[in-house]
Amino acid sequence: MTISFLNTLLPMLVQGLKLTLLIAILGIAVGTVIGSLCGYALQGNNRITKTVANTYIWIIRATPLMVQALYGYFVIPKLLGIELDSTTVGIMVIALNSGAFISEIVKGALLGIDPGQKEASLSLGMSNLQVMFHVIIPPAFKAALPALFNQFIISVKDTALLSIITVNEITHMGQNYAALSFKTIETYTTIAIFYLVLLSILIVVQKKIERKMR
Amino acid sequence: MMNIMMRVCHLSKRFGESEVLKDINVNIAEGEVVCVIGPSGSGKSTFLRCINRLEMPSGGTIHYRGENLVHEAYDIRKFREEVGMVFQRFNLFPLKTVLENVMLAPLLTKKGTKSEVRKIALELLDKVGLVEKAHVYPSTLSGGQQQRVAIARALAMQPKALLFDEPTSALDPELVGDVLEVMKNLAKDGMTMIVVTHEMSFAKEVADRVIFMADGYIVEEGKPEEIFVAPKEDRTISFLSRVLPAAG
Ligand SMILES: Nc1ncnc2c1ncn2[C@@H]1O[C@H](COP(=O)(O)OP(=O)(O)OP(=O)(O)O)[C@@H](O)[C@H]1O
Ligand SMILES: [Mg+2]
Repeated sequence: MTISFLNTLLPMLVQGLKLTLLIAILGIAVGTVIGSLCGYALQGNNRITKTVANTYIWIIRATPLMVQALYGYFVIPKLLGIELDSTTVGIMVIALNSGAFISEIVKGALLGIDPGQKEASLSLGMSNLQVMFHVIIPPAFKAALPALFNQFIISVKDTALLSIITVNEITHMGQNYAALSFKTIETYTTIAIFYLVLLSILIVVQKKIERKMR
Repeated sequence: MMNIMMRVCHLSKRFGESEVLKDINVNIAEGEVVCVIGPSGSGKSTFLRCINRLEMPSGGTIHYRGENLVHEAYDIRKFREEVGMVFQRFNLFPLKTVLENVMLAPLLTKKGTKSEVRKIALELLDKVGLVEKAHVYPSTLSGGQQQRVAIARALAMQPKALLFDEPTSALDPELVGDVLEVMKNLAKDGMTMIVVTHEMSFAKEVADRVIFMADGYIVEEGKPEEIFVAPKEDRTISFLSRVLPAAG
């Protein structure tokens, strides 16, 4: 067995890695914003925003990501008469998906903060906004970190499912190569190593941040 | 005649069906130390929390500096900057050091520059005997030390008055003394204080006036020697007979 296949495979996978990273980073970033807003709404007492958030979370949690991707790629453009490229759909699907799960994480973290913290801060003359940013969010963020990173990891893996709508991320690039070359063992082993390295970096970052916050 | 600082008139509070405060009338004078005693569930905490509007009263008025603060339009933050509160469970900020705990509110409410606020904070920590703990985190302190930090934190706003809700009830008995000592010194310095407490000896020694509450009413009030030695109302008598060690 030679390793000359790497000459063609590696450049393809590096190409795919770029797209995987783009979709994962943008998707998770937007998802974190959505999740923070919805999580905040969920623990508040505005019935309208709560209902909106709950409905969104329900739809995302109760449908498979692959179906959401297919829907976004094939159905939404027809319904709205617009054009959507697969990368855009991919980012949106990852964002909406991670956003739904992050909402629950954020809600739990905010509800986990002792209400006495807020009362003490208010009694010192702080505004609601000051209480939120200086007193509630720091410990809530610390408490949410493990679950958040868990979701980040899942979202990175979820990008592999986007191969179904021909997003040329790592997995899809690998599949293309394997289909042409029949080198399945080599290809999928290399892909696995790519993900292993990528996610290990994320895990190391998580451990670093957690150590710093202690 | 002393100056009246707060006038509470016909204050009431209900939670749904249950009426927790019924008709509270009381004036607090400048420099006065008022201790509030009474059985569990009588509405003592709710009374304090209505004063700084952690709970919105259902009725009545509370006048402070000529303004009624029982009013959505009243900017309660002004009042809270001037009247601090100390809680049973301390409620220190766990991710901030002792010094940061004391400095946070004065900085956010622009009570001074960072170095001014820091100087005052360190003086206050010295006053409560904890200046050497300035840079540690609250979780490393005993309950009594945490409560003294909480008092310093309230004092850092340079308040005109302080509300205490059972400040020593969560403490091991041997730690109560240090906290009461700090409070006695505040009283001596002329701080206006409303103290909900089960520490009858503290009330006897420090209070200018004792208020006995039961069932959402002020049943009886008077100087400590009146309330503790010659209570008039049956409810006061039976409550005191339960909480005071038999007279020797
Ligand atoms: N947020 C709330 N919602 C509903 N009921 C409440 C609320 N807060 C207090 N209560 C009720 O109001 C009554 C008075 O409570 P409060 O805490 O003021 O009593 P307390 O005199 O401070 O008692 P304790 O000595 O046990 O602290 C109690 O029956 C309590 O259950
Ligand atoms: Mg109470």
